[in-house]
Amino acid sequence: MATATQPAGSDRKLAGGVEPLRAGKGSSFLWRKLHSLSGVVPIGAFLLEHILSNFEALKGPAAYGAQVKFLNSLPLVRVLEIGLIFIPLAFHALYGVYIAMRGKGNVIYYPWAGNWMYMTQRWTGYVAFAYIIQHVIRQRFMGVSLPEHPGAAFAKVQMELSNPLMLAVYAVAMLAVCWHFSYGIWLFAAKWGITPGERARKRFGYVCLALGIGLAAMGLASLYAFVGPDYKNAPADVAPATSSLAVPSIETYAYVV
Amino acid sequence: MAEKTIQIEIKRQSSPDAAATWEKFELPWKPGMNVISAMMEIASNPVNAAGNETTPVAYDSNCLEEICGSCAMVINGKARMACSALIDKLEQPIRVQPLTKFPVVRDLAVDRSVLFENLKAVKAWVPVDGTYALGAGPRIFPQQQEVAYPLSNCISCTICMEVCPQFNDATGFVGAATIAQVKLFNAHPSGKVLKEERLRALAGDGGVQECGFAQNCVQACPKQLPLTEAISDVTRDVILQQVKDFLTV
Repeated sequence: MATATQPAGSDRKLAGGVEPLRAGKGSSFLWRKLHSLSGVVPIGAFLLEHILSNFEALKGPAAYGAQVKFLNSLPLVRVLEIGLIFIPLAFHALYGVYIAMRGKGNVIYYPWAGNWMYMTQRWTGYVAFAYIIQHVIRQRFMGVSLPEHPGAAFAKVQMELSNPLMLAVYAVAMLAVCWHFSYGIWLFAAKWGITPGERARKRFGYVCLALGIGLAAMGLASLYAFVGPDYKNAPADVAPATSSLAVPSIETYAYVV
Repeated sequence: MAEKTIQIEIKRQSSPDAAATWEKFELPWKPGMNVISAMMEIASNPVNAAGNETTPVAYDSNCLEEICGSCAMVINGKARMACSALIDKLEQPIRVQPLTKFPVVRDLAVDRSVLFENLKAVKAWVPVDGTYALGAGPRIFPQQQEVAYPLSNCISCTICMEVCPQFNDATGFVGAATIAQVKLFNAHPSGKVLKEERLRALAGDGGVQECGFAQNCVQACPKQLPLTEAISDVTRDVILQQVKDFLTV
């Protein structure tokens, strides 16, 4: 380890170049690790819930409405929504952009697999960020309010996806998000020291690949449910399929009758 | 018959603040040439391809057998050791430039003292200095030696830092080499007395958290250090140390 270009202990200021480690100083470690963790829990967990819930669309408008109704009947649902979805998602997205902008991609000079994945994780992050902003505005805060009218969920999404451009946006975003999440899980395991060894990382890579493909397939299948021939021109509001848990309200009955 | 020659282009800079320019050279080919011997050839007859007299090229080198770590430079777009860059295996014209992430001193010589500063910041040593002999050190089992030896092969060439997308002015990332040395000295039975201090140092700004796991370091390392494995292991230790400190200190 011979790198001394001046006597050891001299406190000469480096002329330009990258700053040395600020040993033990600052709080970036905490923020960076929170960013990494928030991508898995709660955001990753929410993504799994979201893709599973959307999969109900394959059973038709009533089943889909029932799922939306069930989610909105969870205790403290607005607290859950803000505390476990909006705030972590906003933090993960904004801090993620900050991280991505500080990286200095060099995949042109070093076109290696890991380096491509590093870049792709940033590109898919940007795609997901842009998509989620419009998705939340248009599907959560515009049009029919689904917490009050869960039965209108299918028609609302179907209306959105009837535009071929929006369908393409959703399909691309679905792939980008599944990619970002599954590689994010792999990165989490590698960076938190869960899979340090090369072979462990490779094995876990196959697990993440399978997870990513599975989620993307489920997501795309759900998109198909809205645009395919099975449930064309779904009614604007349906009585959500009943279960022992969810009894249709007077309000939703009114739409059917 | 015309003699066989080689074409080499070198990015030159006469002082740290001077503008950089590319200078072309045409040199007589010799068997077994490498980039360093090509520059020795220039020094012996400092005339560029245009026939003008020029100055010999400044560069760092020492052992010429890829063990001292001095002669890292960017050759045909890739950071590598110049002494093991054989001319016959390179596409011509060979383009040689200094490492891009370190201040240029002159021509191909750069100031890599940031690595030395980083190694000092994490106390990458075994603290055994004292006023009396401490006797024989603890026994190190072969299984431990097999983990430590590859990490001890680091030659401080800084190539892992040069190729890292996260090692830049914005992040001030410490780089893979320093993190690997933390693993090495934390694993040493005497060196581990400073383990907690090293782990706390690496949680500072520019520490392990800045790694983006692009894995360029492990691809480019001329000594094949298991750098990504070291980063993974050390980051786990840093996290555990932070949690422990949060709960107990």
